[in-house]
Formats: sequence, structure tokens, C-alpha cells
Amino acid sequence: MIKAILYKEWIKTRYLFLVVAVVLVAFTAYCQLRIGNVISLRSAAHLWEILLTRDNTFYEAMRYVPLFSGVLLALFQFVPEMQQKRLKLCLHLPLPQNKIIGSMLGFGVSLLIALFAATYLIIFLYLNPILAPELISRVMLTMLPWFVAGIAGYAFVAFTVLEPTWKRRLLNILAGVAFIRIFYLSGYAEAYNQVIVWLLIITLALAGLSFLSVSRFKDGVQ
Amino acid sequence: MNPVITCTNLTHHYGKRLIYENLNFSVPEGRILGLLGKNGTGKTTTINILNGYLKPSGGECTIFGENIRHINPITKQRIALLIEGHVQYSFMNIEQIERFYASFYPKWKKEAYYELMDLLKVAPRQRIANMSCGQRSQVALGLIMAQNADLLILDDFSLGLDPGYRRLFIEYLREYAKSEQKTVFLTSHIIQDMEKLIDDCIILDYGKILIQKSVSELMDTFKKFTFKIDDAQPSLPADNEFYNPAVYRGNGELFTFQNKEYVEQYLHKHDIEHSQLMSESLNLEDIFIGLTGKY
Repeated sequence: MIKAILYKEWIKTRYLFLVVAVVLVAFTAYCQLRIGNVISLRSAAHLWEILLTRDNTFYEAMRYVPLFSGVLLALFQFVPEMQQKRLKLCLHLPLPQNKIIGSMLGFGVSLLIALFAATYLIIFLYLNPILAPELISRVMLTMLPWFVAGIAGYAFVAFTVLEPTWKRRLLNILAGVAFIRIFYLSGYAEAYNQVIVWLLIITLALAGLSFLSVSRFKDGVQ
Repeated sequence: MNPVITCTNLTHHYGKRLIYENLNFSVPEGRILGLLGKNGTGKTTTINILNGYLKPSGGECTIFGENIRHINPITKQRIALLIEGHVQYSFMNIEQIERFYASFYPKWKKEAYYELMDLLKVAPRQRIANMSCGQRSQVALGLIMAQNADLLILDDFSLGLDPGYRRLFIEYLREYAKSEQKTVFLTSHIIQDMEKLIDDCIILDYGKILIQKSVSELMDTFKKFTFKIDDAQPSLPADNEFYNPAVYRGNGELFTFQNKEYVEQYLHKHDIEHSQLMSESLNLEDIFIGLTGKY
């Protein structure tokens, strides 16, 4: 039965999945092209120098891409469920409510993690022959908050879309914007190293807010 | 016959607006019961409460003996639901939606669904979103029939259907429910054709149940009386046995379960000069209007 729910989620999101994958690859390729240009025009040593002395990781163009990916995925997954209150169909399925919603959210978060992990892998494979492990780690740790922001964006949009009343939706949007802003407060490299694990834990916990929205929907709150 | 659905003292408000108070009804096993009422009388509210999508302000409902707020998933497999407007997963095509639902229901009858889909003449890969309202209604009906549930709950199935599709839906549903001994609870605000489908009806008025009876009993016993009034009588005196008595241009009319003698006695008692007192048998739509009024 869970497989059937995942199948439904896949039907809703498969084209978006392709678009997001292409966009992530395109942005990654663009950033790597810039790195390649530095190496061919100057040298790898110059690249190392920039990475060590400045806050430029060459991947800044990707800053908001994971966030938009998360937001779009949640919209594609949950707007069709709320149109004509289609969520009722889902809640009528012979499965416990939390299992149904948990599967839907789990699908979305897993899809994002898979896309982000693939992006990380591409970046790692490209940088591995060029940079020292410490510098690769510097690039990846600098990018990590952007990817966590993508999951936070997903969680807050799901929370907002599944909420049955517009008044609460607005409040949810404001809370989401305030929380996601945290991930973009600092532009310094590795600025979030001390807190990123906590931010990730909080983000995953916030994904559970959607259960609250569904519970309100089920109580018929208008 | 055991009741499949039982509602006791069901009460609901939206904010301060009372929808109904202390509603009591039950749906016997193997019967097709229609909850009929004008717009805004609480038909969809009742369906939402029964399916656990709305917490009632008061009272309790059970389906197969289980409180509807805590229905076991196994029991849910025995309940098929049609949402108002035949809402389904419109982003799926007819093959995908069948594959999706099949895994949830152990008694799934794929052939019942495809038998109906063959009549639709749509491509197997056509998305439901691109179908007409009538075609979507058949997809929803096909899914319900394939689910092979013991109880079917249909919310305003006639919404948006042209007469042809409405008739097709009714005939298929009636034939299916009777041959497979299913219990059906449905709502509709279109009463036309309904006497061809339902066995029993509950007629809801604002805030209360007006009547719960079998359709045959209702059609046998509920009558319209018409008569000519000789003097200028602006209105008819109230009587608890009469529904919506009225006078239009010297023609009196009233609706009642009482017989002709009772009406004559009433007219004599109130010294109403009259002639041509006649009674008419009514179809279900006229009975509905007679009970609830035109306004």
C-alpha cells in the first residue's frame, strides 16, 4: 500500500524531478565551468589561493537553487491534493492517517536528499582531482546550509499548502520565511559549521508540522 | 436488518450558524438511502462527518458499529466514497488510477472497472483531467464498483451530469447495488430520476429531518390536494398535518399524509367555501417540493 502511495507521488512529481535534476546539473556545470576557467586562465594554485583567502567557493550561483527545488516539489506534491479537497481521497484510504502523510512527506524529503546527494557527488568527483580534501570539505560545508534550506523550504510549503485556512497559511508563510532566512544570514564560507547539524535536526522535525495541518483539515477547520 | 450507519443526536454548527440539531437516523443493510435536501441543509456536512472529515459539534455516528472518528483501516476497506463533483486523481490516467487503488482493496474487481471504461471510448492513457464531467463520473463509479465495498457513500453524485450521464449512472449503480446486495447512502439536490434509484429517503430541511420513509410508502401516502375557493381567502389557516398550504388566485393547495375526509373536515371547520376538491398522486420531486416548499 505504501508502494502505491509512492507511485501516486511519483506520478505528480516525475516531470518536476527531471526539471530540477536538469537545473541542478546545469547550475553545477556552470559553477564548474567557472572553476575550469580559473584553472586554464591562471592556475590551480590560484584557485587554491582564492578558496583559502576569500569567501568565494565558486558555487555561490547555486545558493537559492536547492530552496527553489524544495518549494517547487512541495507545491507539485500538495497543491493537487488540496484542489477540490482531494486530500479526502487520500485520507479515505485504508491506512492509518499518519502513515499516509508520513509516506508522502518521506517521499518528498527522500527525493530532495537524492537530488542533493547526486549534486554533491558530481561536485566531489569534479573537485577531487583538483583540490585538497580540506578545500573540498570547505566548499561542501559552505554549500550544506543551502541544501538544508531546500528541505526547510519543502517542509514549510507542505505545512502551508496542507493547512485548510488562509489566515493560518499566511502565518505559516511568515514563520517559514523567518526560519529559512537563518540559512542565508551569512555569506562567509563555512559560517554555519557549528550549527548546521542542529539546523538540520530542527528542519527534519519541522517537516512534521504538516501532520498538524492535516489534523486541522480532518477536523473540518474552516 | 442491522443498521450499517447510525447517527445519534448529531448536531453541527459552522461558527454560530446551526446546520442541524439532534439528528437521528440509520441506514439499514442492503438498502439504498437518499439524503435529500435543498442547498445548504447540511447534506455534504453529513457526508463529511460520516467520513471523518469534520468533527461534529455534538452527537455520534457509527459505521459497521465503529465510531466514525476512529475507524479501523480494515473497516475502511468496506466503505467506498464518491466525493462531490466526482473528484478523483485527475493527474492520473485510467490505467494508473486503477493500478493505484487496486493495491488497497483485497476484494478489488479489475474487470468491473474496465467493463465500464470500455463504454467510455477513451484512450487508456488519457488523463482524467482531460475528460468531460460525465466521463469522470463513470471513472469514479467504475472505481467504486471495482472496490467491491459493502457500503457506498456518494456525495451529490448528480452534480454537473447531463441527463444522459445521470441516467447511466443511476441505472448502473442501482443494478450493481441490488445484484451485489450493497448498502448505499447518497445525497443529491437533484431529485429528478431519484425515485428510480433509492429505496428510502430522508428529507432534510434547515436544521432538522422532515421525514424518513421508504420511497414507495411516501409515494403511496403523500398527496397534494387542490380546490377552488369561492370567497377571497388570502391564506389557509395552519394545521400540523399540512405542509405548505397556499392560495394562488382563488386556487387552494396543500400537501399532506392525511386523506380527503380529513381535508374536507378542515375546510368545513374553518368555514372555507370551496369546490372541486381533488387529490393528486405525486412523483418524488413533487413530494420533495410539497414537503420543503418552493422557497
